[in-house]
Amino acid sequence: MSRVYTIVKAHVKTWFRSKSTIFWTLAFPLLLIVLFGAIFGTGNTRFDLYVQNQDLTGSTPTLTSQGYVSALNHTGAFNVQFVPAEMSNPVSYVRDDAQLHNRGQRLLVIPAFFGENLTTTGKASVQIFLDQSDQASASLFGVISAVTSSYAAKLSNSTLYVSVQQVPIVTRNTRYIDFFIPGVIGMTLLTSGVFGAVNTNGRYRELKIIKKLATTPLSKIEWILGMVGYQMFLAVISIAVILLFGRFVFGVTATIDIYTIGLVVAAALLFPGIGMVLANFVKDADGAEAAANAITFPMMFLAGTFWPTETMPTVLKVIANYLPLTYINNGLRDAMIYLEPAQALTNTVIALGLAGFFIILGSVLMSWKEE
Amino acid sequence: MTLPSRALSGRDEVVQVNNLSKKYGDTVAVNGISFGLSKGEVFAFLGPNGAGKTTTVEILECLRAPTGGEAKVLDYDVSKRSDQSEIRKRIGVLPQDFNAIDRLTVRENIDYFGAMYDHQLDADKLIELVDLKEKRDEQFKTLSGGLKQRVGLAVALVNDPALVFLDEPTTGLDPRARRDVWYVIERLKKQGKTVFLTTHYMDEAEYLADTVSIIDHGQIIASGTPNELIDAHGGKKTLVIREAGEDGLKFLPQGISKPQLKNEGDIYIPLNNGELTNILIAIGQTPLANKEIEVRRPTLDDVFLNMTGRRVSEEGEVA
Repeated sequence: MSRVYTIVKAHVKTWFRSKSTIFWTLAFPLLLIVLFGAIFGTGNTRFDLYVQNQDLTGSTPTLTSQGYVSALNHTGAFNVQFVPAEMSNPVSYVRDDAQLHNRGQRLLVIPAFFGENLTTTGKASVQIFLDQSDQASASLFGVISAVTSSYAAKLSNSTLYVSVQQVPIVTRNTRYIDFFIPGVIGMTLLTSGVFGAVNTNGRYRELKIIKKLATTPLSKIEWILGMVGYQMFLAVISIAVILLFGRFVFGVTATIDIYTIGLVVAAALLFPGIGMVLANFVKDADGAEAAANAITFPMMFLAGTFWPTETMPTVLKVIANYLPLTYINNGLRDAMIYLEPAQALTNTVIALGLAGFFIILGSVLMSWKEE
Repeated sequence: MTLPSRALSGRDEVVQVNNLSKKYGDTVAVNGISFGLSKGEVFAFLGPNGAGKTTTVEILECLRAPTGGEAKVLDYDVSKRSDQSEIRKRIGVLPQDFNAIDRLTVRENIDYFGAMYDHQLDADKLIELVDLKEKRDEQFKTLSGGLKQRVGLAVALVNDPALVFLDEPTTGLDPRARRDVWYVIERLKKQGKTVFLTTHYMDEAEYLADTVSIIDHGQIIASGTPNELIDAHGGKKTLVIREAGEDGLKFLPQGISKPQLKNEGDIYIPLNNGELTNILIAIGQTPLANKEIEVRRPTLDDVFLNMTGRRVSEEGEVA
């Protein structure tokens, strides 16, 4: 173990003495937090209303339902956002989109056959999904009920009845910055892990340091453990700095639990593992770094670091499901911010599985001796 | 503390190589070579780039597996996995083009590599040995090429090895830095260390080595002490009369080997046994007596030229 400790210590010293590495691991994530926090704001608007109109003729809303939405709009009380009619889980969509844009999480669903039911039976219903803890929920429900009754009355002199069914939901009363901070942690773990492994293995190979080490009693496994240990150190430092910054500047409160620890361990194995695989396929240090850029940058954007994957086009959503960072990001959010242990566990297990796969693949592929 | 070695067979041979070969596909890098290295000697493996030096050394360092033949280091078989770990504990290695860790200091680098072994020498003593006391706390990246190579030497010695491999330790260094490295190797020699040196510099091998094996195209073409090799394959000594000009040729006695005019006026005369005195007497009363005269002894360069028909350039390429 003393050899592993020596390797970790040397990596840490090297890291500490390199201003650019410190910038990329600590200052850059903080800069991103400040920039994104400033761009997307931290406020929590409480008068937004998402509307999903499922009452269509072909792909066009029926006149009745369209009129109803217009009536809502005309009150001036709502900032109406539309949810695509084909969205099968509109609540989940609203949760992610509202978070991204710092909107209130309230959804009104106009069901299919709304207009037809109203004209044929004189009765129809709409559903309003509200969180009871939402301070505006009572007044919003009142306004919506009033608009609905008034609209029904306007439609006909006869008695039409439109009921408003309230469906309680538990919203994540979180802001964009709460969503973003675990993403920045995931991004930092990704870049420091992949680039750390690529640079260390690529550069140390070029400088013949790995060749020299291979002539000593040090084993390949000890070398890899040293690298993983260093990544753990970086992860702990990065998380501490990012969370403290988030706490004091943006008031973000995060929970560190067993899943967080599991995800950090997974990330410290997973991303160096990916880096080692890359370093093996692209032997020279510059080429390996270019390959690392080609892998990490798209992954960073597609894996829900900056915005929820739910809000991305379907093709990108499918791609996101195959990206390891997606599980780290989602897991960290579930564990640290949303406090959803079941989902955190699922993401942690997947991340650990991927970590095991990549670190073993990287270890097998990494050439310790010469061919 | 040097680790105990196995009782060495033969005449204290720390390296025994028999019919060793290494192929990469159809390319034969090392072709059935055999040689031995005795305890306490500085052995130079001399040859141009691509001759098979580094491949051979890396087989002995357990970095590459041989394709055929056998090799023992400190009486451990390089092909046996269990023996390899014993070899690694006991050897010191300076790989070709080695660099230590950029942002660690000289001392930290020595400690870093020392920590890979169960036993390590005191870093400060090694720093003293390689004459880097003033650079002890400087980061490696700030050092010149020669100083970096001296750190490499200290790192190679950190486990007090029974055998030190130095692969092209002075390649790319300026003449002064090369001399400084030679000085450290001489110190090792005085300490009784066994050194396996690979080089393409003929003067380096001649200056440092007790025994030289010349390798070309994967085969050893000659072995012996530098003097033995020069005597056997170096050719005749040469009398050089500087700036004699073409006119100087007419003052030379008859019956000597054909003189050559080089460097716009220097006369080169290959010497047969006993000829030197006759020539000197003959030119004693002529204008040549006032010229600068020297007798050039053949070098390992001449040995290589005579044996292969080619010379090795400063960069290690054959021409």
